[in-house]
Amino acid sequence: MDLSFLTVQVLSALRQAAFLFLISSGLTLVFGVLNILNFAHGALYMLGAYFIYWLTLYLVGPGGFLLALLAAPLGVALIAAVLEMGLLRRIYIQEEIYQLLLTYALVLIIDDLAKIVFGPEFKSVPKPDFVSGSVTLFGGTVPVYTLLVVVLAPAVAALLWYLLYKTKTGKVVRATSSDREMADALGINMSALFTLVFAFGAILAGLGGALAGPVRTVFPGVGTEVIIECFVVVVIGGLGNLWGALIGSILIGALETIGIIVFPEFEMALIYLLMVAVLVVRPWGLFGRPLKIKALSEKNLEMEAQEISPVHFSVHPAVRWAPLLLLLLVPLVAGRFYQYLLTQIFVASLMAIAFNLLLGMTGLLSFGQAAFFGVGAYAVGLLVTKAGFGTLPALLLSPAVAAAAAAVIGFFCVRLSGVHFAMLTLAFGQLIYAVVFKWYGFTGGDNGIQGIPVKPIAVAGLAGIDIGSTKEMYYFVLVVVGLSVEILRRIRSSPFGATLKSIRENGQRASYLGVNVKLYQWTAFVVAGAFTGLAGGLYALMEKSISPEIIHWTKSAEPVLMTIIGGIYTFVGPAVGAVVYIILNSYLVAWTEKWALVLGLVLLTLVLLLPGGVVGFVNEKARQIFGKLRCIRRWSFSKSTTS
Amino acid sequence: MVILEVDNVVKSFGGLRALQDVSLSVAKGEIRAVIGPNGAGKSTFFNVMTGLLSPDSGNVVFNGERITGMPPHRIIRKGIGRSFQITNIFPRMSVFENVQVALFSHHGKNRNPLSLARKFREIGEEALSILEQVGLADKYDASASILSHGDQKRLEIAISLASRPALLLLDEPTAGMSRFESRETVALLQKISREQGLTLVFTEHDMDIVFGISERITVLQQGAVIADGTPAEIKANPQVRKAYLGEEITE
Ligand SMILES: Nc1ncnc2c1ncn2[C@@H]1O[C@H](COP(=O)(O)OP(=O)(O)OP(=O)(O)O)[C@@H](O)[C@H]1O
Ligand SMILES: [Mg+2]
Repeated sequence: MDLSFLTVQVLSALRQAAFLFLISSGLTLVFGVLNILNFAHGALYMLGAYFIYWLTLYLVGPGGFLLALLAAPLGVALIAAVLEMGLLRRIYIQEEIYQLLLTYALVLIIDDLAKIVFGPEFKSVPKPDFVSGSVTLFGGTVPVYTLLVVVLAPAVAALLWYLLYKTKTGKVVRATSSDREMADALGINMSALFTLVFAFGAILAGLGGALAGPVRTVFPGVGTEVIIECFVVVVIGGLGNLWGALIGSILIGALETIGIIVFPEFEMALIYLLMVAVLVVRPWGLFGRPLKIKALSEKNLEMEAQEISPVHFSVHPAVRWAPLLLLLLVPLVAGRFYQYLLTQIFVASLMAIAFNLLLGMTGLLSFGQAAFFGVGAYAVGLLVTKAGFGTLPALLLSPAVAAAAAAVIGFFCVRLSGVHFAMLTLAFGQLIYAVVFKWYGFTGGDNGIQGIPVKPIAVAGLAGIDIGSTKEMYYFVLVVVGLSVEILRRIRSSPFGATLKSIRENGQRASYLGVNVKLYQWTAFVVAGAFTGLAGGLYALMEKSISPEIIHWTKSAEPVLMTIIGGIYTFVGPAVGAVVYIILNSYLVAWTEKWALVLGLVLLTLVLLLPGGVVGFVNEKARQIFGKLRCIRRWSFSKSTTS
Repeated sequence: MVILEVDNVVKSFGGLRALQDVSLSVAKGEIRAVIGPNGAGKSTFFNVMTGLLSPDSGNVVFNGERITGMPPHRIIRKGIGRSFQITNIFPRMSVFENVQVALFSHHGKNRNPLSLARKFREIGEEALSILEQVGLADKYDASASILSHGDQKRLEIAISLASRPALLLLDEPTAGMSRFESRETVALLQKISREQGLTLVFTEHDMDIVFGISERITVLQQGAVIADGTPAEIKANPQVRKAYLGEEITE
């Protein structure tokens, strides 16, 4: 290895690190003060890139470029300030899942709006002449622009340090970030401070985007790639910690550069592997500290009335069984399109209800459920195509394989809580995605597995039952999902379920009941993983082809969205959410390209106006109105009933 | 017979010595008060005894068994119950469920995910009788989050009683209660202790209560035990009078 090669590579790593730091320092700063992990930070980056693209169409020459480089981040900051004041501010008291989802809704909306305004194609900003050349350093050719980026990022870091440590406002920001109550007690104007910090974080994202404009292409959705990288950086460094973001950026920048040279196949997997490794050794990241658990008084307890407690109320069995009967009759009246649509809904419902065993019941936000769905689907796909398994044995193994994966992953994840838990599940999910995506010899890589044969199900001695047609598959999936949902419903109504709920409500108190909290969380994680894997297995049979796309993190967001749409603290909520989601998806995609925009707006509306979801809202009303009627029975204890 | 023995416990937070060589010995069935000014280290002491914090050095022995550094869930299983200074309940569960879930855990019924909670009738009865004991039976289906502060405190006592502890540690059980509520709660605790032979260790700022019900009193100041004795001895102790209680103890 000669010096020139080394120089080029080191500078390329530094450039990558510089971009990462610019963007993720904003993300971590916002988290430190507002306690919000901003999914839309990547979208703000994208806006920065689009703004410089648009501005340089009019502002030409070196002066114009520099002006655009200043103006673009400011434009992004303006938008961010409006978003903070208009939307985010309303939900600071809500649980963190709502803050995450609101920013996720913003991603969907901003991405689609960008597509409308700037078009779907890739854009690149021409490099202005004065920085387009290259220089020779130690024999290696280095673009001037790389040097510019590499010099600018430390300058921004220094400026940040100055602002945070040497100015009065900076000191207030740091005080707030370490102790919010203290800041409150000092009478600091929190609203203004939050807006300021959020806008400042946006400037950093916007600057990252603007600087990247001339060297990276920009397109709608580029933000989702950037944000995941930044999550990795800030989580490795420790959420909320600036030095952590710096070290994390350098580590990832170096690893990406080395990865491309040494393991081009598994470059992507390496990053997630590093993140997993760091979090296994240091659960709160290199420089992070455990987050203070929110005091109960800080939590929003409003949604209490939306859960119809299985102890005091029970839904009349007729209400439960009627829909099933109706579903059995559907194929008699509805054609194949509807049968297929409903089959999709069944599979999604199973995934979402299993997911909500974690979120709604145990209080754990998993952002990696697609991994277990994928493991189940690939288990079926591989067992059938490579090992010649029959349909039923393969399907029955899918939850087992997924449960095994969940057992290992869950072991590490339940040590964490809140957003840290979400980020670690995300990292594990992406790690599995990266491996499946590249492992051509085993998983088929990005080609996936095509043409999975669905053999007739052999039943002891009898002729096999064919489930190949749409209608037969409909009934088959209905039966499997129906049974699974019934099991999940029982889990919810069991003492085990009550214990999970107590952990959700107050983990510390639960441990003071003699409950091994981590063990219960782990068990819930494994059970949820198993049923998610089963849903994946069904998916493989139903679609007869699978691809790594089903493991990507954006798929992990789907059960989260379905659950929020339907109602987090209800049992059927996630299934109702699945109905809404799949129907919206099928019809809107056929009808308009703005599906993400509509979904984002729906999500935004729900988070702001109906945080308990559709079923939560209905339950609340039902309790008031139908409480007296027969369809919801009030179950009371009185000594006379037993003696 | 000694049920709880604490030997030379030390706990520091950074430079702050929150507990310095604290020792304590409690007899079975005794009612013991641990008193001391704000910041004396009472809650820290409770946290060390119940595994929320592990001590830097020293030992906690319960029923002859060393429990130092065990996690809370294992300590609870040995027969220690605890309530917290800041009310610690399950807010979005009903009053009944709060106690029921504690009983499930105590009876080891919460491991089977496929059994139905409502089928455990005896546990339901038991939960109701505990609620009756603390005077919350008529509110059994209200959400715990909407109870008054005093009721929440009582609910927490009910939750702690549900694990049928031999030793109950109560960190300011009457904090924030009205005078009437405090008296009722204290009478209740006294009655339970007498009837069930339950050992009580509690902290309390109200001296009427402390001297009214405790059999022995331990005084903490700046993390150290400065006195330990019967209420009469504590009242007579000049160090306590001077350093902590001042003119509060007047006959
Ligand atoms: N987790 C902790 N980290 C750092 N310092 C702590 C921690 N917990 C308690 N302290 C400090 O230890 C000392 C003892 O606190 P502790 O809460 O035990 O007092 P206390 O006697 O219960 O007071 P009060 O009557 O106000 O409840 C205090 O100075 C407190 O600030
Ligand atoms: Mg205290």
